[in-house]
Amino acid sequence: MTPFHNKLPRFWAEFWGSRPVGIEFPHPMQITFWGVRGSYPVPGAATVRYGGQTSCVETRSASGDTLIVDAGTGMRALGNKLLCQAPEPQHHHVLLSHVHWDHIQGLPFFSPAYVPGTQISVYALQTAADELHQVIGGITRHEFFPMPLEAVPASFDFHQVEPGVEFDIGGFHVTPIALNHPFGSVGYRFDADGSSWAYVADTAPFTEVLHKQHFLSGLELLTDDDRIALGAMRDALVRRLIGVDTVVYDTHFLPDEYAQFPHYGHSTPDQALDICCEAGARRLVLYHHAPSHGDDQMDRIAAEYLARGARRNIEVLTSFEGMTLPVGPEAA
Amino acid sequence: MKIRFWGVRGSFAMSGRDFLRYGGNTSSVELVADAGQRLLIDLGTGATELAKQLMTGEFGKGHGTVPILLTHTHLDHIQGLPFFTPFFIKGNQIRILGAAPSGLSLEATLQNQLSPHYSPLNGLENLAAGVTIETITPGSTLALPGFEVVTAAVPHGSMWTTAYRISADGRTVTLLSDVEYPSVDEPLPVALALAHGADLLIHDAMYADADYERSKGWGHSPARAGVVVAERAAARKLALFHHNPDATDDMIDEIVARTAARTQVPVFAAAEGHYLDV
Repeated sequence: MTPFHNKLPRFWAEFWGSRPVGIEFPHPMQITFWGVRGSYPVPGAATVRYGGQTSCVETRSASGDTLIVDAGTGMRALGNKLLCQAPEPQHHHVLLSHVHWDHIQGLPFFSPAYVPGTQISVYALQTAADELHQVIGGITRHEFFPMPLEAVPASFDFHQVEPGVEFDIGGFHVTPIALNHPFGSVGYRFDADGSSWAYVADTAPFTEVLHKQHFLSGLELLTDDDRIALGAMRDALVRRLIGVDTVVYDTHFLPDEYAQFPHYGHSTPDQALDICCEAGARRLVLYHHAPSHGDDQMDRIAAEYLARGARRNIEVLTSFEGMTLPVGPEAA
Repeated sequence: MKIRFWGVRGSFAMSGRDFLRYGGNTSSVELVADAGQRLLIDLGTGATELAKQLMTGEFGKGHGTVPILLTHTHLDHIQGLPFFTPFFIKGNQIRILGAAPSGLSLEATLQNQLSPHYSPLNGLENLAAGVTIETITPGSTLALPGFEVVTAAVPHGSMWTTAYRISADGRTVTLLSDVEYPSVDEPLPVALALAHGADLLIHDAMYADADYERSKGWGHSPARAGVVVAERAAARKLALFHHNPDATDDMIDEIVARTAARTQVPVFAAAEGHYLDV
């Protein structure tokens, strides 16, 4: 794939979702956003258009293979849709970036899990000594949820992913990528049908903070080793993103917000643009919106970064709940 | 005494235009006594909005003090805790009071919620405010600044939750959320005693009456259960609460209309938004 050959017209950004009738766009793979919010779900009048549910993305290949990336609150609506489409038991694959609440709390409300015979494969970074199933099972402990994981009718199997160790699920080739977030986080590159997209959330930039496994109340002094580790992590991310068509990136903060909370583990659209430009990605999708960013502000962010991206020859879209994006330029 | 609902939704926070009038946030209730003291109940997602208001006052300066009663620790009742900003300001004094029905202590449960796997806060000890966790024994009476509180355990599926009768300024509010009686027509005496003569009864109304039959056992009540309690306990007003996540504004309107038609007790559906006189 040639990264800078963007053959899609600019108007795509305004009209995607209303594909012109009669024109065949051979986009084989697609991404659907079920939750685009970071931290916690935000109901109310200010989130009607972009959506209030937390991280959850569905991706589908041309052959119909489907992966779920992150299990935030958006997963409830996704589960209801999947169950409507296919009431009989299915095998679902759920890849987690990390296990902070906003990325897992939809799992107990995923309705296919209550259909006997359903198989749910969960892929995640092992972030501590605990077994993965204990960490996932921990969210349905008696204190938090009426039904423990063992009692849920679906069968679960758990797979530990390691950055750089590639694997295949159906027609998808999956590459986990280490990210910079408290207690560890992993992004994914997905290759299928001759195209590719990447999920880069949650992550801080690779400058002021190296997130480890302890609480940060603010910035800590970086050691030389920390700087080397950050540089290596950034290089590996850029290398994995080379030639990717679409990058979905944690752009939780605006620059002034980032300056206040650099230790929270999230990036700005500008930082995402730098990474994507270096890697030669065709398109950046802003994602994991701060709970405080209402629809009107999101409109301004979308317009501003569409323009900034255009100046750097990259298409910048802003995700919203219900958005479906075909992946890959029409003649990749 | 005034009351404001900041979150009225059960189980799951719902965003979107179908949930604007009643609100999509999960459980969070604020009571304010005439002399200004506050008492909060539950820390669902509604508490994140409440937090913003509190931060404009003394909580923003680190001089805030408030007790928070938890009905229980199912996620929809505590998921706002890590984002309740008064916890992050040094000097605030916040008491969290709740029971421990599962055998695990309340403190251990909240520590699990904030464990480094699940939250970058990495434990209660990293909250800058002074936070105390106090275990309630249901049946006990609590004297909180400005409020007198009677507590009781009520059944909630495979566990139980704590119900509260809160009195201030000569008025009484009873909250029976997340409760399912063995029979809707025979509410437990403990619930009736707690609601007796209350000026406002807030009751679990997770299901439309017609939907209850197939939802039995999950620990929630149909709208009719609140009517039975209110009538038997001679409560003056009934607020339907803990709305089903799938209940749109129009569906809640219909539930209220059907419920009101069967009783003399004034009925309304709890909604986010305003301070109401009790």
